[in-house]
Amino acid sequence: MAKEVYHDRVVTALVLCSIVWSVVGMLAGLHVAAELVWPQLDFGREWLSYGRLRTLHTNAVIFGFGVSALMGTAFYSVQRTCHVPLFAPGLAWFCCVGWQLGILAGGLSLLAGWNAGKEYAELEWPFDIAIAVVWVCFAIVFFGTIARRRMPAIYVSNWFYGGLIIVIAMLHIVNSLAVPVTLSKSYSLFAGAQDAIVQWWYGHNAVGFLLTGGFLGMLYYFLPKHADRPIWSYRLSIVAFWAFTYAYIWAGPHHLHYNAIPEWVQSLGMVMSLVLLAPSWATMINGVMTVAGAWEKLKTDPALKFIVLSLAFYGLATFEGPMMSIKSVNVVSHFTDWTIGHVHSGALGWNAMITFGTFYFLVPRLMGAPLHSVRLANIHFWLALAGTMLYVLAMWGAGVSQGLLWLSLDEIGELSFSFKDIMASMAPYYALRLAAGLIFFAGALLLAYNLFMTVKGRRTVAAAPPAAAEA
Amino acid sequence: MNGVGLHKRLEANTGLLIFGILFVSAIGGLVQVLPSIFQDSLAAPSAGVKPHSPAELVGRDIYIREGCSTCHSQQVRPLLAEVKRYGPFSRAGESAYDRPFLWGSKRTGPDLHRVGGRYSDEWQRLHLLDPRTVVPNSIMPAYPWLAERPADAGPDIQLRMRALRSLGHPYSDADIEAAPAAIEGLTEMDALVAYLQGLGTAMPAGGGR
Amino acid sequence: MQTTMPTADLPGDFWAGWIAVLTVGSLIGLGWLVYSIYFAANGSGKAEDGHEGPVWDGNLREGAQPPPMWWFWLLFASLAISVLYLMLYPGLGSHAGALQWSQGGRLSDSMAEFEAKFGGLRQLVAEGSLETLRADPELIRSARSIFHRHCAACHGDEGQGQAQRFPNLTDAEWQWGGSAAAIEQSIRQGRTAVMVGWLPVLGDAGVKQVTDYVRQLQEGSAAGHPGQVRYGQFCAACHAPDGAGNPILGAPSLIDQVTLYGDSIDAIEYSIAIGRTGLMPAFGERLDNTQIRLLVAYLTRAGEVKRES
Repeated sequence: MAKEVYHDRVVTALVLCSIVWSVVGMLAGLHVAAELVWPQLDFGREWLSYGRLRTLHTNAVIFGFGVSALMGTAFYSVQRTCHVPLFAPGLAWFCCVGWQLGILAGGLSLLAGWNAGKEYAELEWPFDIAIAVVWVCFAIVFFGTIARRRMPAIYVSNWFYGGLIIVIAMLHIVNSLAVPVTLSKSYSLFAGAQDAIVQWWYGHNAVGFLLTGGFLGMLYYFLPKHADRPIWSYRLSIVAFWAFTYAYIWAGPHHLHYNAIPEWVQSLGMVMSLVLLAPSWATMINGVMTVAGAWEKLKTDPALKFIVLSLAFYGLATFEGPMMSIKSVNVVSHFTDWTIGHVHSGALGWNAMITFGTFYFLVPRLMGAPLHSVRLANIHFWLALAGTMLYVLAMWGAGVSQGLLWLSLDEIGELSFSFKDIMASMAPYYALRLAAGLIFFAGALLLAYNLFMTVKGRRTVAAAPPAAAEA
Repeated sequence: MNGVGLHKRLEANTGLLIFGILFVSAIGGLVQVLPSIFQDSLAAPSAGVKPHSPAELVGRDIYIREGCSTCHSQQVRPLLAEVKRYGPFSRAGESAYDRPFLWGSKRTGPDLHRVGGRYSDEWQRLHLLDPRTVVPNSIMPAYPWLAERPADAGPDIQLRMRALRSLGHPYSDADIEAAPAAIEGLTEMDALVAYLQGLGTAMPAGGGR
Repeated sequence: MQTTMPTADLPGDFWAGWIAVLTVGSLIGLGWLVYSIYFAANGSGKAEDGHEGPVWDGNLREGAQPPPMWWFWLLFASLAISVLYLMLYPGLGSHAGALQWSQGGRLSDSMAEFEAKFGGLRQLVAEGSLETLRADPELIRSARSIFHRHCAACHGDEGQGQAQRFPNLTDAEWQWGGSAAAIEQSIRQGRTAVMVGWLPVLGDAGVKQVTDYVRQLQEGSAAGHPGQVRYGQFCAACHAPDGAGNPILGAPSLIDQVTLYGDSIDAIEYSIAIGRTGLMPAFGERLDNTQIRLLVAYLTRAGEVKRES
């Protein structure tokens, strides 16, 4: 029998796909940001129109960039924490290829105007089914590997990746229930207020278990691994995981404060969002205390810098979220660019940065070769930080002023400003946001170049599990 | 038994861990979503709310296709300033025939729930063709292709209405029979304008002060 | 009219119990879990080197540090706030909350506050003379903001008219009359112009002839024009024999230099051949008396400004 090795080529493939999607998704984001400054930039073409391209942007970054990165790092870490190669490696390749083709075709369908109309679940029913099939295969590979493990227990990163797989499956299936009309058109099984409650149960927890939980899985493996320190507190990990998994799922209705849904649903959504602060921060504490013994590495290692900075933005975003869920704050923040700023402090500062850090750490290991250029990675770090800060500040400024100006009354009780006058006053903020996006995107291009140069001409090195005697 | 002991049993068993995650993550949905689905008053149409006419339905699907709800909400919150700006606050029963709901999450442009009747059809057409002819500093995209395409270019209107009827929208056979004729000769622009002009009109317009 | 009803009612008995029991039960469960993990009698089997459990992957291990107490208090504080909130506000099934709060009630309260604060003043404005209102720069600023919110999308920010469709409100020409009463009526009830298309009656040649006649009228040199006969027959009833128009019918003057739809031959020809049906929506339901009064003051002022200059 040939020597048993980890299946890492599929990891390399997923990492590279993820990088490509990050460039595609951010480019689409840049273009829509530019359209908000110069609306003529769609050149009268349907597929370049804001409403379609913005949908491509969110889908490409969340499902292309994000999920490819999560799938790749899950496959990488689950093998190493279970001391066995992947279960059903063929199926793992199917997940990789099937997901890429699905998102590619799905992305094109969005540009063609196929749109189910639900936020972050815009893909029409044929893609919903394809996603569900690939996702089930992802679950089989992942849990199959865990079931075959040579370790007595299951490592904390796998709890979070497992939560990602299970909860997203549940949310996706329920929220996508629809009656098909044609290949490109379906009507949601739920209507109106009920649909709203279902959709934000999905929408908020796609953020919760994919963009937060999934990436926490990434953190729990790659941070201690790279910092060369044990995860600070095992008991805190347990608390963090279960409290997080319990509380997050309730927070969806804070997207519907003062909307036409029952008040009891809103109240539960709000209090659970507040309860969620502590579980979210538990992992931040665990992460920061883990690095606390390895500060000196931060000076020289761009990968670790990215991961630690991502923790800071994670802490910021998970504090801001509960604050925005307080109904009286939400009166101001809802429907404004503040939400966009909040999302991007998470998406750029947390998701993208931890992924960048992980890739800078992971790709050289997959290739068995040093990173092409540490200097470029350091430049990327500063571009990413500057881009994120500028983006978030611009959107805070825009959002808070929108929210307050919309509510402002004059001396006789008339609304002080017309909507379009307030909208017009957003121009500088939107221009600033475009500049921020350009800076962040420039950094992402450096990463793509740097990592492709690292991979170029090399093959994924074979790594073997430790001797099977452990169990 | 304490929490650590309980956890240690779950983390040593794949099946138990899966079950544990499913159980813990399901509670929130069981409390918030399930009772809402069974709460009939949330699904009942308000007085005067009717299923969309064929033209409105086509228009609504165009609204979805073009991603209008990425920038326009359709939800007037019960806040003083909001009621003054847009009109009466939105009731659940007004969305009873909305699949999916289009309340939105962002107002890059204004809320549209009470836009019906606020502008003339002609204004809506000019605005959709090129928003900057009537709102010079608008950042909304232009939609010239809507004026060039017939309203029946999309999925068959009768199929759409039957699908909705299977979900409980009260379309009669006669309604469905007459639908193709009702949209014949209309452009997508006409259909979208018909949808916009019908928005929020089941409630009296008062309050938008 | 606003109602005080909440946007949606409370769930029925079974679901109310379901919601309350699952919510409270699971919150207690969370509290128990965290408490028991924090105060486990070293239940984690600490290894002698200060690490927990196995070596997962090379250098990957788990530490045995006790979780920090401040986090514990953070969580329990948030749980306490939640419980308090759910006692005061609707949330636990059919429990309406000790404060009897509802978002409909909140709106009614702010309406009442608004009325108390601004009601008297607004009544004065609604009944004020136009001259007094016009003389108050703050009121004119309010009027301008009402105009921006409700009128500018068609008539332009300065009321200058737009898109060769929507009339200029700053010149002396008022299609439906420029008196305060006529303007108020336009705002309250809206206006619908009904110029029908004359192509079927006039034919191509006729349209061209009348178009030319109207052009000449504008320039004041129409005497003896062959189009005069047809004009007299079909147009004069509304636009008057001399082309001065009739504001009661919304028929604009053809002899001033103001042309709503443009003064090119093509535009005039289109108006005659196809017709025009300009529509101003009614704002009587959307605006209150105060707002309408202010708009009338603002618009008559705009006309004066123009006329004076």
